[in-house]
Amino acid sequence: MAGARRPTAPPEADGGTGDTGVTADALLVVRAAEGDEDAFATLVQRHAPALLRLATRMLRTPAEAEDAVQDAFLSAWRRLPEFQGEASFGTWMYRIVTNRCLNVLRARRPVAPLEAAGEVPAAEHATSPARITEGRDAVRELRDALDLLSAEQRACWVLRELDGRSYEFIADAVGISQEAVRARVFRARRCLTRALGAWR
Amino acid sequence: MTTHTDPPEGARADGDDESLPCGRPLSRVWDDWERQTDDPHTATCPHCRTAVDDLALLESAVRGLREETPDPSAHDAEPLTRRVMDLVRLELRPGRPLPLGEPAEDLWIMETVAARVLRAAAETVEGVRAGSCRIVDADGHEGGAVEVRLDIHAPADAALRPLAERVRQRVREAADRELGLVTASVDIRVTDLVDVRAEGREGDTA
Repeated sequence: MAGARRPTAPPEADGGTGDTGVTADALLVVRAAEGDEDAFATLVQRHAPALLRLATRMLRTPAEAEDAVQDAFLSAWRRLPEFQGEASFGTWMYRIVTNRCLNVLRARRPVAPLEAAGEVPAAEHATSPARITEGRDAVRELRDALDLLSAEQRACWVLRELDGRSYEFIADAVGISQEAVRARVFRARRCLTRALGAWR
Repeated sequence: MTTHTDPPEGARADGDDESLPCGRPLSRVWDDWERQTDDPHTATCPHCRTAVDDLALLESAVRGLREETPDPSAHDAEPLTRRVMDLVRLELRPGRPLPLGEPAEDLWIMETVAARVLRAAAETVEGVRAGSCRIVDADGHEGGAVEVRLDIHAPADAALRPLAERVRQRVREAADRELGLVTASVDIRVTDLVDVRAEGREGDTA
């Protein structure tokens, strides 16, 4: 299995969770769409943790991540009557949060040269290769290097690498083709390997 | 979770790729690595090896970064849920008022509130879960009677007619006793059959 390398099981929300005390998302969504706030509160409680993790990975600042998730839920509440259930509630929320995060990232770098991030030259490292391979430093450098990515590259890369999502899922969440997702993940990787000082 | 829909070849139609000195596109070398494709060329080519090592180095840093974000179960969703619900309750979603009591009385209840009570009543029947619940004024009825249209998920092994009758009974009682609503009719629609026992077993092993 080619995907076996990936340790992260997708935290796919339990859209179809059945019974024995737990009410399925689909029923709660119908109730919430009819104005039942308690039903919506259950959905929020159930899905907030995974969405917070996603937003934190995208934005890296917990306060911004919480705001993004909060805005996403409020937007979902307003749009619930139109939600036709073509996706599970979890997937729908994932899409809304991804878009909120993309907007936040875009606002951070208003005139970033979107396609140029891949062209960033290798960072000038006074760092020895031995130090680079030291885990903690590499993680810190990677964290900094994420700011070199365009909003779109970063979103696709985070969904793929940190969240373990399939290209198909990401394409759906971001609203672009799988081919475009692959291209963005590729550019992000090239940019990041260079920034880590490894690429020659 | 892995997709095999588009092959590595032609995956980069944007001219953004680059070729290694051996002639292999970098994107293909990395794709192959990600898919764990065995390729005699990559195994022996020094350029490909270097490119793969670079990506492997990145991936090990990625693993470190991944572990930095706590597991979802570590998040306490309570404060966020409270904040979201405070905002939700501020939103004005008017809904429809339903008449209560005698026609002369000026007493109303919002449909959403009444629906919540009736769903809860339906769920007192074992294994039943309530979904959509619409309450509308009954045509041609005196005294502000209403029609209830309720969707339910029922246990797969239940006899549906008696089950629906029990649900109808509980809904009527709750409408009458808890709300003072007169029900002209209670339509029950079974929208799904749930295998409660199978899911109970699943839950045990989870």
